[in-house]
Formats: sequence, C-alpha cells, structure tokens
Amino acid sequence: MTVLHDIRNHLAVAIANVEGFRDGVLEPSPKRLDAVLHALSQVDTLLSSRPDNRTLDDRGPT
Amino acid sequence: MHDTERLRLVVGTAPAPEVAAARKVLVVDDEPELLEALCTYLRDEGFAVLCAGDGPAAVEQFGEHLPDLVILDINLPGFSGTEVLRRIRLVRDVPVILLSARVHEVDRVVGLELGADDYVVKPFSPREVVARVKSVLRRAERGERRSSWKERRVGAISIDTVAHEVHVNGKPVTVTPTQFRILDVLSSHVGQTLTRDQLLACVSGEGDVFDRTLDRHIANLRARIEPDPANPRHILTVFGVGYKMVDPA
Repeated sequence: MTVLHDIRNHLAVAIANVEGFRDGVLEPSPKRLDAVLHALSQVDTLLSSRPDNRTLDDRGPT
Repeated sequence: MHDTERLRLVVGTAPAPEVAAARKVLVVDDEPELLEALCTYLRDEGFAVLCAGDGPAAVEQFGEHLPDLVILDINLPGFSGTEVLRRIRLVRDVPVILLSARVHEVDRVVGLELGADDYVVKPFSPREVVARVKSVLRRAERGERRSSWKERRVGAISIDTVAHEVHVNGKPVTVTPTQFRILDVLSSHVGQTLTRDQLLACVSGEGDVFDRTLDRHIANLRARIEPDPANPRHILTVFGVGYKMVDPA
C-alpha cells in the first residue's frame, strides 16, 4: 500500500459521492456528506504526513 | 502511461438501454461509501445489483446468484480480488471489470494473469463505470470476449481451463495446481517470453512459490508434459529472462 494508493482510494469515495449528488442519484444525507468530508480530510492528512513527495510512489516494490 | 493505453480495452459510448435490463451485477469493494454509490448508480440504470465488501462475501454471493458481470476491487480484506477472480473463474466465465488504485497492479492482472475484461483506475466517475459495464456486457453478448474459458492447444498439449485438465497427445496428465497455473499463463501467451517475475506474480498466493522454486516447477511440469523432458520443445528457457511456450510444429 503506497501513500498514493491510499489517496486515490479516499478520492474515489469523495468523487463517486459528489458525482452522485450532482447527478441526483444519491441523496446528500448527513451521513454521506460526512463520508465525503472524512475522505477529503484523510487525503489532507496523508499529504501533510509526507512532505517529501518523492515517496508518493505509484509503483509497488518490484 | 503508454502501458495504460495499450491495455485499455475498447469502450463504447452509446449503450442501448435494453442491454441493461435485468442484468445481474456483483460489485465488490471494501469502502462501504464507494460500494453504495456504485451500486446505486447501477440500480438506477436498471441492473439487479449485488454487493460484497470482502473476498469471501464476494465468492459466496457469486456462487449463490451467478451474476452476469462482476466489478471487482483488487485490494480486498479476506483474500485479494485476484484470488476472488480466480475462484469465480472456476465456477463460471463471466465478464469482470477490475477496480484499482494502482495502474501497475492492473497491468499485471489484466495483461497477464486471468484476463479481466476491462479495468477502471480509482478515483473514477461512477457514470464511466456504468458505461463500461454496458459496453462489456454488449461485447459479451456478441461473443466478442477474449475468453480464458475454452480448451487451448499448443503442439501436443491441450489445456482445459474449465475442467483444469491437461492432455498430452490425447492422454490425460496430472499436474499440481501451481503447475497448472504456470501452464495456463504460458499457454495463453504462446511465443511470448514471460519473465520470471511475471510468472511468479501469477502463481503468488499459492504460498509455496519462491523465485528459486520456479525453476523446479518448470522442470516438474516439463517432466509431465514434454515427450523428452531433457530436450523441451514446448516450454523453452529464455536464458537470463524467463520462459516461453511455443508450438513445436
């Protein structure tokens, strides 16, 4: 699991839900809005914990 | 990104609504909020949707409901999406779309291992996933899938990937599951040299395969399938790289 991998997973949650709100497919319930906020703050945390972005390596160990 | 483009399969743009009608789709992802979003989109499009949050649940749901298509996250708790893919392929050869946050990982699995039909890299637009689902189902209905399903024949050797049987000159030969997997991968890439890493990646998860034992698996496999194991004509060594399978005819 790389940092980039985790970031993408959290972004996937945020984007899928916000798109759902936009398209009228998902109700923007407090629970879903919280999930989006949580996902985004996780991204923020991950980015802050790794100031050296050379470690944001997409490729796993080879 | 060239690899991504190369592996990206043809994606249609104008899905016919009737294709969506009453098709069963199993969605597997360990993020509940993502799973719910994706499932809701698919339900909205008229699919019958089944959801699973881990490997064991996915396999169970698959066996119980036999969906028409599976959307599968590669990283799952329980056992991996790769393992889920292997197990469901043993039951039925349905189209599979992989989800992954790592392009690298998708390359390996889609390009080599078990022949997923398409993949989507996270983060994605749920509408795009729906479009892919329709496109893959349409291809499947037209019989345009490249299938990992049929019997494969290379020289004197035939491999039945459904029954997990190997025949040499028409006679049944017993191979271990690891040997079968190696043979399966090599025979689906006839003429192409596969590196040791690629072959190891395909058999990892077996628990008994390490770099040095790959050679032993190959040697044992040759002993079973080559008419003259000392002078292999089907599975050739590519020195310093790996192995390739060829049709000696």
